[in-house]
Amino acid sequence: MSEKVMLEIKNYSKAYGEGEKVVDDISLDVMSGDIYGFIGHNGAGKSTTIRAVVGVLDFNEGEILIDGHSVKDEPMECKKITAYIPDNPDLYENLTGIQYLNFVADVFDIGETEREERIKKYADLFEITDALGNPINAYSHGMKQKVAIISALIHDPKLMVLDEPFVGLDPKATFTLKEIMHEMCKKGTAIFFSTHVLDVAEKLCNKVAIIKHGKIIASGLMEELTEGHSLEETFLEADNEK
Amino acid sequence: MKNKNLVLLKTLLLSTSQRNIYKHTNDKKKKKRIVASAIGMLILYAMLIGFCVLMCIGYGITGLIDAAPEMCALVISLLSFGFTLFKTNGYLFNFKEYDMLMSLPFETRTVASCKFLYMYVKSLPWYLSISTAMLIGYGLFAHPGVVTYIIWMILSLCLPFIPMLIASFLGFLIARISAGFRKTKIVQTILTFVFIIFCFSLRFIIEAIFRNNKVEATLEKASELTGSAAKYYLPVSWFSNAIIKTDVISILLLLGVSALLFAVIFFVVGNSYRNINSALKSHAEYRSFRMSKQKRKSVIRSIAFKEFKRLTGSTVYMTNAAIGEILAVLLGLLMLFVGFDRVIGVVTQNAPVDTSVLRPAIPFILYFFIGMLATTACSPSLEGKNYWIMQSLPIEKKTIYQGKMLFNLYLTIPFMLFSTVCMCLSAKVPFADTILYLILGVVLCVFSTTRGCVCGIKHMRLDWENEVEVVKQGAAVTSYLLPNMFVVMILTVAVVILGMRMDHRLLTLILIVIAALLAFLSYLRALSLAKRR
Repeated sequence: MSEKVMLEIKNYSKAYGEGEKVVDDISLDVMSGDIYGFIGHNGAGKSTTIRAVVGVLDFNEGEILIDGHSVKDEPMECKKITAYIPDNPDLYENLTGIQYLNFVADVFDIGETEREERIKKYADLFEITDALGNPINAYSHGMKQKVAIISALIHDPKLMVLDEPFVGLDPKATFTLKEIMHEMCKKGTAIFFSTHVLDVAEKLCNKVAIIKHGKIIASGLMEELTEGHSLEETFLEADNEK
Repeated sequence: MKNKNLVLLKTLLLSTSQRNIYKHTNDKKKKKRIVASAIGMLILYAMLIGFCVLMCIGYGITGLIDAAPEMCALVISLLSFGFTLFKTNGYLFNFKEYDMLMSLPFETRTVASCKFLYMYVKSLPWYLSISTAMLIGYGLFAHPGVVTYIIWMILSLCLPFIPMLIASFLGFLIARISAGFRKTKIVQTILTFVFIIFCFSLRFIIEAIFRNNKVEATLEKASELTGSAAKYYLPVSWFSNAIIKTDVISILLLLGVSALLFAVIFFVVGNSYRNINSALKSHAEYRSFRMSKQKRKSVIRSIAFKEFKRLTGSTVYMTNAAIGEILAVLLGLLMLFVGFDRVIGVVTQNAPVDTSVLRPAIPFILYFFIGMLATTACSPSLEGKNYWIMQSLPIEKKTIYQGKMLFNLYLTIPFMLFSTVCMCLSAKVPFADTILYLILGVVLCVFSTTRGCVCGIKHMRLDWENEVEVVKQGAAVTSYLLPNMFVVMILTVAVVILGMRMDHRLLTLILIVIAALLAFLSYLRALSLAKRR
């Protein structure tokens, strides 16, 4: 499979109002088939970057391209091939799980057979099928997270952007999500996700970027970056140096 | 392929549909609450319809039935404009599922327009109730043909549409301007207040124009008043012409202008929608915090402070909760600088009234504004997903609600005292009476706080999607606001009449005792409800 740049962030900066820049001139490329980890402290600028990538947050400096389309100029082209899972999914609480998934399927214009197959497949994998008829406000945080994940997979995206996707998931669901990420990656989907769980990032990702105070302080292939050390050691070392 | 506008609109409606919740919930208490709330709403609709039919019958009896379409259009336009101005910011901007929606393949203008259409569809039953009731009244006296009924019903859909679009556009402008400031929410709230106060005073400005043109006499007749309004706000006359003359051009103008305005406004809004939301949802970074000495507060004062931050953190909440206080202060200042007699003269169209008889009503006039919305009616529901914080802390439930009540007292009493002093000085009220009015004002604030708390706890709803549902449409607020407003209006008149027959001081003393007793009973009720929650 030929590698293709799915997500290209070029000199992206973001400041709120006239305040200090929360993200300062960051650039990175995520290729198709990559599982790219984005790690850093709380408030380092991970979510600000992710929200700009998925077209939620406006920005003035830099350029973000998804499969060659500009997030600023061609947002619809970008969103059609992207899936986003926020860190704390705010779903429509009074809809049932299945009503919400149908809403997302309608938005992506997914055919009835296809949506049934995909919802069933992923709902079974996450063991949430039985609960899909209940209102979302009756779900636990983990169950809401599972619904958000299924809704992200429903249109078979080319780029998945996940903000702390493992928070709130039980061990089985965490394992399932990792398996799905591997499966998507084999099919050529690019995955870009933020996490605090360095063990997971180390085992799952082929590439990683470390962000501190809005700047990328280290990035590249996992093996090259860690050079035989653990990601935790590499992270702490990079964190102390810069 | 399904139309994305329809998909989104349908989902927005479904997500707040009580019928949908009823259908899928297993919680019997919740089901009962939904049924009770639906019955309450039906009663309110019935009252509104009854009032409008009676109003039309009044027109019919006095031979003014031709003014009914104009009156209908004017009432709907004013109500829809006013209500939209108060809630547009909560619906169009800064809503909680913004990230989820914007990450989906929707055009920004689709999201903005669907949010508007959602707001329109949700409020439509109120306006259609008014319109249908007035159509019944009109039908009884004017005996129009079938076509008129059809035209009336179709055009009724447009009547709230244009004012709502204008109000939304004003909301957009406010948000657009505020987005350029660091303290976006404060600026947004101040600008909203300025617009609202401007709209409130518009009536007096128009009247002043009429006076300058020496056409005061025209204001004496309601039918001519609506006729004058129709000259300034064309959709009213289009509607009237469409009904009375079956004027096709007026029909086309009303439909065409509605569609054109919608397209133009949401083209403009769509272009800077993301930009505005980014600014409103973002927070400037402060990295200069230094740990200094931290002050210790009592638990109740701490809760009151939390309530203060909750209020100032939301434009919709602040606008709705503080507008009464602002209007009361403005009224007080107006009285002080313009003069009690002159202001009363403007309100009563210079009717020969001895203004001194109105003095005992001062606390009630001010309470009408200040007691309009008690924060205690919304704050229990506004806890929403944060409900667990208070519940998991080692605080007695009564303390939580005492803190909430304390905050409402902090918010209302200073405004009540200041406005009362201004009005009393302006009306040259004797010192002893002023003291009694001040006491009555404070007691009324306490009553408003405790009664608001009773309604707030009783109708607590935590599973809301948008805080507008709590602040503007919640059962707690409705059950507090409507009876409170009607009772105050009746009391204001009653106090004036009683004041003509008995000593003012004795009357005020009696009112103080009654209000204090009611406040105390409400307080006990609030605490007993709090225990059960």
